[in-house]
Parts: sequence; structure tokens; C-alpha cells
Amino acid sequence: MTATSELLLFQVGARVFGAAVRGAVRIGNVRDVPAEELVVMTTLGPPFERERGIVVVPTGGGERTLVVDRVLGFRTVEEEELRPLPAFAQACLSSSAVTGFVLMDDAPLLLVDLPTLVSERQ
Amino acid sequence: MADPQPPEQRDPSGASAEAWFFCLRLLGGRYAFEAPLVTEVVRVGPLTRLPAAPSFLPGVFTHRGEVLPVLDIGQLVGQGPVPIRPSTRAALVHCGPWKVAVVSESVEGLVSIPRRQLEPPPAESSGVAEFLSAVGRDRSGPIAVLDLPRLVESARARAVPAGGGAA
Repeated sequence: MTATSELLLFQVGARVFGAAVRGAVRIGNVRDVPAEELVVMTTLGPPFERERGIVVVPTGGGERTLVVDRVLGFRTVEEEELRPLPAFAQACLSSSAVTGFVLMDDAPLLLVDLPTLVSERQ
Repeated sequence: MADPQPPEQRDPSGASAEAWFFCLRLLGGRYAFEAPLVTEVVRVGPLTRLPAAPSFLPGVFTHRGEVLPVLDIGQLVGQGPVPIRPSTRAALVHCGPWKVAVVSESVEGLVSIPRRQLEPPPAESSGVAEFLSAVGRDRSGPIAVLDLPRLVESARARAVPAGGGAA
């Protein structure tokens, strides 16, 4: 039986990203979240709208809400479809949050590690 | 591709009188590097831009199921980006552990330059001159020879690595 991985697809600005579902605690509205718990500006760029949030536990603990434009849903992919970034790209990025990609319709969908993403901005 | 080397151009010692390079047009000129570094010439597909990437790494694209990083030498040396269009081609090169697609304005292909016509590069240390290993000339005009492994390694070193000083 092939091992699979569950991805959460979300949009920030004009771009769609994927993340392991296990990195997200819950998804919700950001209107009732205290401002100090929101993570708006990240490596992924600014969101156009600030309505949806993905609650994440940063590497240091606690909870932070990553503000995104849309949560697009979930996708199950075979783990062998998950690939690391090319070595040169990995060596040049100034963020550890971008971990790899999965090919969807022949285009690379970037994968991010949510705890690392929100931790880098704290 | 250049003409095969005629026998009369071999020197009496048996060593080749010609050096072979792979030539690209970029930055408004002809630039070449050691031909064995090039594995393939490909058309650059739609780019996926990477967050937190330096300007010389404009993105990645897929080629036969492989995701390849694009290296823009123009951006690296501060002379503006090489325009990437549907017709843009890139040379896939292996430099040590790194495999990158070097984008260009156009690909000329293999060229040979008589070794006696290769000269040291100008003593400049800025821009693309920093990465030149020689300058030469063939039938089509002057060519600047890049030390591509040094250029690629310098690009990697100039990038701010994750956890290595990023704010």
C-alpha cells in the first residue's frame, strides 16, 4: 500500500501553496483573533484580504494564526510525489519554510512548513 | 555548431590547437563556458517564483518531470534581468553539486577558439568581469569566457542562507 500525505491548500495573494495538514491545528475566521496572535506578513507575501486564518503551533509553542486569503481544501498525494527543492534553490532561499513541491497539473505547487513559517516571523 | 577541427590546426605535439566552449548571448554580448558543463539546452517553461529567493534565482520550471532552478547571470552581476519569454532557452549545467538552468537571450552552441587567441581577462573586479577566466575571438567576433563553477558558487554564497543571518 502506498503511503500518502494529506495537504492543506491555501492561497496568499495570487499564489496557491500547500502544507502538511498535521502542521495546522484548525482553520477559522480571523476577526475574533487578538491582533498579537495574527501572523500577516510572511515569506509568502501579504494576503489581499484578511479573513481566513490557519491556526498553527510555532516551534516555540503557543498558538499563532496565519492570515491567508482563502483555504482551498485538502488534497491527498502519494508521498513519493513530494519532492525537495532543487539543491541550488534550497541553498539560496533566505527562508526554511519552503520545503519542496508537488507537481499538480505539471506545475510545481510549493510546499511550506507552517510552524517554521510562523516562527520565522515572530 | 562550429566546424570540426581541421587536421592542419593541430599543433605538432598532438595537443589540440582549439579550445571548445558553449556560447550564449546575454548582457548584449557573447559569453561562453567550458562545454562539458552543459548537459542539455531546454526551452524555459512557465516559471514558478520562489518566496525568499534572491533576484538571480527568478524561479523554477519543470522539464520532463524534473524541477530546475533558473540562474539569471544578468541579475547576479547587477546588469538587469534576462527577459524570460516562451521562446527563452537555457543551458542546463552541472557545477559541482549544483544543477542550474542558465537563461540567455539566445543560445549559440558549441564554438571553438584557437588557444593562441585566448587571453587573460581585463583586470576588473566588478560586474561580469569578476567571473571571466579568459577572452578570445572566433570567426563571429569576440567572446568572453566565464568561470561558471566560480560564478555559480559565488551566487550561492551571496544568497542569505536560511538561518544564516535572515532577519
